Amino acid sequence: MSDDSDDRDGRRPGRRKRVSPLADPNVVIDYKNPQLLKHFLTDRGKIVPARITGVTARQQRAITKAIKRARLLALLPYTVQ
Amino acid sequence: MSATQVRSYSALRNTMREFETTLIIRPDTNKDGIVTFVGRLREVFEQNGGRMQKIDNWGLRTLAYPINGNAKGIYLYVRYLGGSDTVKELERILRIREEIVRYLTVVIDGDIDPGARPSDVDAETLDAASEIAPDPLEVAAAKAAEEAAARAAEQEAEEAKAKQDEAGGASDDATSDDKASADKASADKADKASADKADKASADKASADKASAETTDKTETDKTEEEQG
Repeated sequence: MSDDSDDRDGRRPGRRKRVSPLADPNVVIDYKNPQLLKHFLTDRGKIVPARITGVTARQQRAITKAIKRARLLALLPYTVQ
Repeated sequence: MSATQVRSYSALRNTMREFETTLIIRPDTNKDGIVTFVGRLREVFEQNGGRMQKIDNWGLRTLAYPINGNAKGIYLYVRYLGGSDTVKELERILRIREEIVRYLTVVIDGDIDPGARPSDVDAETLDAASEIAPDPLEVAAAKAAEEAAARAAEQEAEEAKAKQDEAGGASDDATSDDKASADKASADKADKASADKADKASADKASADKASAETTDKTETDKTEEEQG
């Protein structure tokens, strides 16, 4: 029963939401900061959807743009083999 | 392109836009090459009503993927005021020059008063821009290697001490076995030691000695069992 209510919340028991690196309001999403952007890439180099990372839609747009710029400058990979 | 031609719309309003261009220069370019290139950039800005605000050399970095067969590149970051004509001319020149592997221009700010933003660029920063800093990845690797060497030295010292301690009892082939096990024990200890540094190191040393002493006992008992069997 308790499991059911947990499922309705959309969260499984025992799994906590991870803290975003964007929680700090001073952090600016920028293509010149590949270390920050790496948090939003899978280990194959794909952009992680916002529903996984929990960022806002506005942040996700900024992240996507920044990652694509950083890829052009070879600061981030397009793919990881 | 002459300065008398119609420039960008922002120029007509007596405002400027702020741009930033990040460029990747071929890794085999030497300092002189960068100095001449930066001089050329300044010319471009002068001739096209632009003004350099900031120039920064990020140094030689490893690229995330090879570009034109280059695994590394020198990153140069330039921030400047200007109009669309400045960018057009700059990018034309970047395409012509062979040492430029790639560039990206981004608008940071539109419609700003050039008087309100003083330029950071002086002779010193220009000089620093042609200085090629080493690859941060390589610096990290070198640091790690140094630490590993220090650790190995520490390990050797421990081994030497352990050998001295056990010098009395054990026979020749037994000591060679002991050495292998002592190596392993002290390596484990060394990993821990790197985490919590010097104050614990002495304690670790003591425990490593103890561990090797224990292994000595074990191998000796093993041997005696074999002889019995």
